[in-house]
Amino acid sequence: MRIYEELFIVKPDAPEEEVDQFIEQMKSVVSSSGGSVDKVDKWGKRRLAYRVDKYREGAYVLFQFNAAPETVKEFERRLRVSDMVIKFLTVRIDQTLKRLEKRKRDRDKRAHRKATAPGPAPAQPSMAQQMLGEPAAAE
Amino acid sequence: MTEFKGRPGSAGQRPTGGDKAVATQKKQYFRRKKVCRFCVERIDDINYKDVRLLSSFIAERGKIVPRRISGVCAPHQRRLGDAIKKARNIALLPFAASI
Repeated sequence: MRIYEELFIVKPDAPEEEVDQFIEQMKSVVSSSGGSVDKVDKWGKRRLAYRVDKYREGAYVLFQFNAAPETVKEFERRLRVSDMVIKFLTVRIDQTLKRLEKRKRDRDKRAHRKATAPGPAPAQPSMAQQMLGEPAAAE
Repeated sequence: MTEFKGRPGSAGQRPTGGDKAVATQKKQYFRRKKVCRFCVERIDDINYKDVRLLSSFIAERGKIVPRRISGVCAPHQRRLGDAIKKARNIALLPFAASI
């Protein structure tokens, strides 16, 4: 299972309820094949940076889901077939999320060490050192 | 084509307005020390959906600003380039902007 992000653009003149229906359909595509939809976000209408299929604006929809690679294939196939969707982008994000989490963890650790460094932090390691080193030094 | 922007020779002489004067023997000009914005502001995630952030790193014509101009460090410039290209693909940013 991998985490994916799917951003697609729906035609601006598509009726709202049809779009919602389509979103529900896509949700079931993911869940029926054993995946789980984490997030669905409708950004609403936005101006496109360039013309796509004669449209100058489009409604963005963002999906975030956890699924197997085959599911993505099916998902993309459906997006291609649908005449509402004019453009889509699939991004695999689990590795990125992992990397970000690690960075955050490292940063927190560093901040924690920095915060405790002037005070008790040096004392604690030296406690352990004392246990080991002091008998030898004392004798 | 007499005025060619961004040539290596002229890059250093742009008056960016700075805090430090760098004096050469012939000419005196100001150059501010450039720092990577992502390092300074601790932006870990350079996301393709963050159009506002990305658009500050594209030039008027839609080109990616080279890091000798923007001062972004190499690892971040790499991720920035990837993000901009993704954003272009989904029409959040232009491939080539008009004027």
